[in-house]
Amino acid sequence: MAARSLAIVRWIGVSLALVFAIWLYARPARKTDATSLRRYPNRISVRFWHMWSAEWKDVVDRIVDRFNKSQDKYEVIALSVPGGADAKFLLGAMGGDPPDVMAQWNPVIPTWAEGGMLLPFEDIMSPQERAQFERESYPIVKRVGQYKGKTYGFPIGLQVKGVFYMPQAFKEAGIKEFPKTWEELVSVSERLTKRDKEGNIVRLGFMPGSWTETAPLFGGDFYDFKQGTLTLDNPKNLACLENLVAIRKRDGYDAVSRFQSSLNSSSYAGGWPFIVGAFAADVDGPWRVEQISKYAPTLDYATALVPPPKGGTPGAGLGSGNFMIIPRSARQKAGAWAFIKFWSGLEDPEVAAEFYVWGGWLPPSDAVARAPIYQDYMRKHPQFRTFVEAISSPNIRAQPPVAYQVFVNDAITKLEDQALRGEISPGQAVSQLRTKVDQEVLRRKRLGYDE
Amino acid sequence: MNKISRLAVHVALLALAIPASLPLLWMLSTSLKSDEQVYSGTGTHGSTLGSLIPHPAVWSNYPKALSTVPFDLYLRNTLTLCFICVIGAVISSAFVAYGFARIQFRGRGPLFALLIATMALPGQVTMIPVFEMFRRLGWYGSYMPLTLPSFAGVPFYIFLLTQFFRTLPEEIAESARIDGAGELRIFSRIVLPLAKPALATCALFQFLGTWNDFMGPLIYVNDPTKYTLAYGLQQFMSAYGGQWAELMAASIVFTVPIIILFFFAQRTFIQGIATTGGKN
Amino acid sequence: MTTKTRRDLVGLGFISPWLIGFIAFTAWPFLRSIQLSFTRYDIVRPPKWVGVSNYQSLFTNDEVFRNSAWITLKFAAISVPLMIVAGVTLALLLNANIRGIAFYRTVFFLPSIVPTVASTAIFMWILNPQIGLVNGLLSKIGITGPGWLNDPKWALWSLMFMGLWGVGNSMVIYLAGLKDIPIYLYEAAIVDGASPVKRLYKITLPMLTPVIFFNLVMGVISALQYFTQAYIMTNGGPADSTRFYALYLFDRAWRYADMGYASAMAWILFVAIMLLTAALFGTQKRWVHYGG
Repeated sequence: MAARSLAIVRWIGVSLALVFAIWLYARPARKTDATSLRRYPNRISVRFWHMWSAEWKDVVDRIVDRFNKSQDKYEVIALSVPGGADAKFLLGAMGGDPPDVMAQWNPVIPTWAEGGMLLPFEDIMSPQERAQFERESYPIVKRVGQYKGKTYGFPIGLQVKGVFYMPQAFKEAGIKEFPKTWEELVSVSERLTKRDKEGNIVRLGFMPGSWTETAPLFGGDFYDFKQGTLTLDNPKNLACLENLVAIRKRDGYDAVSRFQSSLNSSSYAGGWPFIVGAFAADVDGPWRVEQISKYAPTLDYATALVPPPKGGTPGAGLGSGNFMIIPRSARQKAGAWAFIKFWSGLEDPEVAAEFYVWGGWLPPSDAVARAPIYQDYMRKHPQFRTFVEAISSPNIRAQPPVAYQVFVNDAITKLEDQALRGEISPGQAVSQLRTKVDQEVLRRKRLGYDE
Repeated sequence: MNKISRLAVHVALLALAIPASLPLLWMLSTSLKSDEQVYSGTGTHGSTLGSLIPHPAVWSNYPKALSTVPFDLYLRNTLTLCFICVIGAVISSAFVAYGFARIQFRGRGPLFALLIATMALPGQVTMIPVFEMFRRLGWYGSYMPLTLPSFAGVPFYIFLLTQFFRTLPEEIAESARIDGAGELRIFSRIVLPLAKPALATCALFQFLGTWNDFMGPLIYVNDPTKYTLAYGLQQFMSAYGGQWAELMAASIVFTVPIIILFFFAQRTFIQGIATTGGKN
Repeated sequence: MTTKTRRDLVGLGFISPWLIGFIAFTAWPFLRSIQLSFTRYDIVRPPKWVGVSNYQSLFTNDEVFRNSAWITLKFAAISVPLMIVAGVTLALLLNANIRGIAFYRTVFFLPSIVPTVASTAIFMWILNPQIGLVNGLLSKIGITGPGWLNDPKWALWSLMFMGLWGVGNSMVIYLAGLKDIPIYLYEAAIVDGASPVKRLYKITLPMLTPVIFFNLVMGVISALQYFTQAYIMTNGGPADSTRFYALYLFDRAWRYADMGYASAMAWILFVAIMLLTAALFGTQKRWVHYGG
């Protein structure tokens, strides 16, 4: 480029940049986020942090808005912290500037409660509220949000998985009814798997849930809630893993691994693999029902509880959920509690039922499930009923409420992965799991931790 | 440069440019796809370069992405931070580098070793003490922790500039010293102008670093109106996976200013005019 | 005041911004983290002294620690030289005086500008075993590509391969370095009848050594702390084949709430890096040319 024309281009560029900069800085701050700027400056502000983003953030904003409109003492200000939320929370709490309430789904409750960082809800509930909570909540609620007998996480949406399946695919394979036992499901799934001419899987007959999700069906458990001890090498856990590995072996270790990675890693929108026919049967969570109704409303699908093996525990599974926590050093505990009550449905299940519908979350109590809005939703989406039925079962297990829960989960995931690749045998996986966790517990004892 | 070597260079660059531009092309193509197109089919082998072309092109992803998140606000904040940090980092690093590179003072060796040492410790474990420190200073909740430290110089740039300054021969400074010029003058009048390419490089890196910094603002800022573009971008990644098409659209908008900046600012770093006849 | 003292003061004066910044912002966190490495610290409760227990556990009882150290060393040993060769070669090519060179330079720098969240998504797609670009192209010539990021045998190499796209960063630094080579050196060499290859070996490369040295040291330091891409793309998997040291450290620090243990890990890494760096600095005299 001739030097002259380059100089001219430069000057034009610079002046454009200048104009742009002036425009950018001279604009007044718009009301960009409904909840980021104070709408009710005279009220007490309650800081709420959460990890939702994308379309779920909109749901949260709507709920917050409803709460703010429903009373005139507090204003909840929501902050979406999509990554690094745990670190930010810890630093904030350490620095004496925590949020007043936070929505959590990571297995941090035991660790944070152990460290005295969280407020037990027993300290803030009135006797009537406490009685109501005890009475109405599903059994699983106590197992997930509680630690050493106290409630540190208040449920605002539960989750348990079930089977999503394509009735059409089953019909084509000559199966009229959804299998009632695990063995049956596994055996028919072989017929339902389709491959292309190179042997790559194009549709997988049955994608089971994870080891921890499936073990309860076999009567296994990783934690004994009565004794308060870990039961990692429970023989039924081993039986379950052997079964899962056998299925994987039959389908092909490598083939499944490649297939899985070819699938859309985004669970969002119309990209969910089940929608595009990647599975004849897949184990997944209740929020999918809402997703399907939004992005693939004409999809012909059904849901069912995961069938137990012969002699196993029906209606079993692994429950988890979204929980509200209040840091001990929060400044607006009362405001936080008012907000939590409102969202969870303890205050008014009829009002809260709508929130659960918006988010596709399972209710923590019968009261919410029976509310007209929720009943109506279940009528319109009969597939959702499966999950509501599932979550109320007392056979739903929870993750071990120990302070080193994340370590245990990581170890389980890693060893399960190795077993499912055929690298180690299920027996080895279980014994290594036991050894690893024992080692860690020992190390913690030496460091002086209580557990 | 003779014709053959010119051709050879062209061929080599063209060949390498294809894989190099692939990430950006993929971003562009995804940003124009509808959600189902993003992963076309399952288990189908042989996705080719052809799958890079979206049919149809969904241009609406762009306005959608830009309106989901308050881009102008985040852009304003990000530019402010970038401007401050770049000025702070480049000037102070140049200053410090001059000291290390051109002045033989006692303790230079050990202090330089200390400088390198500060880069050898993973930041994960100093995050908490650093946070505690900033909190005690009362800087939590402001931009101070993100901007002020750059005025103390950044070890990466200090090291880089030290290397550059050391390549300059002593003679240029000697004659100035004989004339009675102080070090400061030598620094500003002689050395700095010669180091323009290196300084521009540092400015570019600092700009990029601040532009892309996610954790910094996340931890120290609580007011959503003060967040940056990096935070805005993260909003497209939900806990259940990403909204790929919109994420890519947002990323393109995020990236394009820098591409333009780089393209026009290139001449400052790089030798543009040929030397007399010889290959570089 | 002697000239020596005067010079000392001037020197310290120049480096004072860094010195002050170090004392103000860096020294205390460093010392504190050394202290923390001798404690048990779960972040929620105050740290408690436990002596060398963390170090002991690391060296005698932690297989993941040993494994991750090995993986990280392997990674650094291969990717650092690779990046240097790639960077210098690219910079030399991009220093040529041909038409459209500005365009080429931008193209090669692009991957470094792309936000991490996007570039990791791109590579996960490109290297996807079943529908990705690479295996797609391979299948056209009859090869079934491996599982790349999903295959324990290939995951580490996939990450290194990905790392090549980041060569734009060091390329810019080399380009800046090339610009600084005095033209008269080349002119004199041409007069003497030196061929382009000879000019490369006798002038260009030697004059570039200070910058190569910089990238070597920084390359080692950052390779040993490699974290971000692995965290986003593989998170240590599959089967721990990409469990880098920094990843394990992060897990220990923030997910297992074991900051004391992680601090011990950090300081062990620090010592390793300092030893390596000192060794590299020691070799300077042999191959790095300063001062024209």
